Amino acid sequence: MTAKIETPDLMVYAMAAEIENFNTVLHGVSSPLPVLAMSVARKTHAPDMVYISGAEGVDPELDRIYPSSFDARLNRNAVAYFGLHEAFDLAQRGELDVMFLGAAQVDRRGNTNLSVIGDIDRPKVQLPGGAASAFLMPITPKVVIWVTRHTNRVFVEEVDFVTGQGYDHRLEAYQKNEIVIVSNLGVMNFKNPDRVMQIQYYHPGHSVDEIKEKTGFDILVAPDAAETPAPGQEVIQLINQIDPDGVRSSEFR
Amino acid sequence: MKKVLTGLQEAAGFVDDGALITFGGATFQRAPMEFVRELVRQGKKELNLIDREPAMDFDLLIGAGCVAKVRAGMLAFEVFGMAPNFRKKSEKGEIITKEGACQPIIAGFRAAAMGLPSIPIKGMLGSDLLTISEVVGSQKEVKDPFTGETMIAVRAIEPDVAIIHAQKADEYGNVRIEGPLYEDVIKAKAAKKVVVTVEELISNSEIRKMPEATTIPHFIVDAVVETPKGAYPCSCFNYYDADYDHIKEYLRAAAKDQFDEYLDQYVYMGMGRRVST
Repeated sequence: MTAKIETPDLMVYAMAAEIENFNTVLHGVSSPLPVLAMSVARKTHAPDMVYISGAEGVDPELDRIYPSSFDARLNRNAVAYFGLHEAFDLAQRGELDVMFLGAAQVDRRGNTNLSVIGDIDRPKVQLPGGAASAFLMPITPKVVIWVTRHTNRVFVEEVDFVTGQGYDHRLEAYQKNEIVIVSNLGVMNFKNPDRVMQIQYYHPGHSVDEIKEKTGFDILVAPDAAETPAPGQEVIQLINQIDPDGVRSSEFR
Repeated sequence: MKKVLTGLQEAAGFVDDGALITFGGATFQRAPMEFVRELVRQGKKELNLIDREPAMDFDLLIGAGCVAKVRAGMLAFEVFGMAPNFRKKSEKGEIITKEGACQPIIAGFRAAAMGLPSIPIKGMLGSDLLTISEVVGSQKEVKDPFTGETMIAVRAIEPDVAIIHAQKADEYGNVRIEGPLYEDVIKAKAAKKVVVTVEELISNSEIRKMPEATTIPHFIVDAVVETPKGAYPCSCFNYYDADYDHIKEYLRAAAKDQFDEYLDQYVYMGMGRRVST
């Protein structure tokens, strides 16, 4: 019997698995899990990835994370600075392969909401804003959305406001990209003819039934759905070493 | 070259009530916090704030009642969560929030820096943010005249004043930003007036030894203010890190309805609001 693996560590490992070697990857603001995922990927299966920090450093030798994902210490021993406007140029050229984005709500088509609950002019709940979502979601080959609270109030039939675009928007050309959702319960994707959300992985200690129950719409189950691969001890040690203060847990409180 | 060295109170005079302003830095990094506190002390009103990912700079001004309108890609306190004053006043309808997205805001600054009325970008299609931007007239779907490709034209953003906190400058306004630049150079070129607060004044002869280190040249800078610790509690690369404990104290004060006490202690420093001159 092995020790229980903490949910943030499982999510980091699942997010890291979405990065392939030689991918160019960017993280944004408020992104401890993406920063850790990028670091894990680079130290394991993707040593040649291009790592662009939201703090602007390219391929830094990250030794720690901080409460701000723009903290300049995240750029330790970087080879260069590459500003966000330059990373966005890269995205428009189709050369940014993977981006990590957050969501307060996500729906069965992969639309995300980070803007408002209720009326945009007089919000019932003012959310923080979508940052790069609306720009990057349609043009980035792979978008990984991380969600730390998988409930039927977060996974809804239709988002209140479309901040980031899922698969039901107008332009067919924009539907070629891949959206993956990593939540505290499992990993979801849209790899089916109708491009609707399906369960691909359920985390150890969770199940397809639990995910279905905590999702606010009829979520599909991939024919090959399986338990999420768990990180080994080296990966967990690496995560603990980079994040000794547990910044990664802050989104789960 | 003209000397532009001045005091903080005088430099804050560049910002009129109702002005459209933007700040250098991003979230808790190199925001011009001492200048922000001076705006509060001078009781500025109806400010119109724009930036891609601001944090405490915007929230402090909102909480102090200096703000009418906000446009940001995201306004939050990183892993600490929502910007408390922003959320409260936006939900009460006391400020107008027109959410932007990072790229249209950055591109809008770039258009203004290039002297263009607008600039095309990709993405955005299918987002409700594009719909509301088309209504307010900041973005519009267009076709490229050569390829027919659908793009989004973003209207230029020309702030009345851009305020940037940097590491070093001379008294003429030759500015050295060290480390990450964010969009600071673009904002300086885009704005009508540019105020730069710096950790340290250096001599013009020092500047001339290494012109490649000058990120903003004097002719686009209107005021330089020597302001050590001018980004505190945000970070200033090569000088100090962000004081996350102070930022948490700010959040606790806002959460307990003790924001006025926070302002008294850290902004007015017991001296109350200064009468605007």
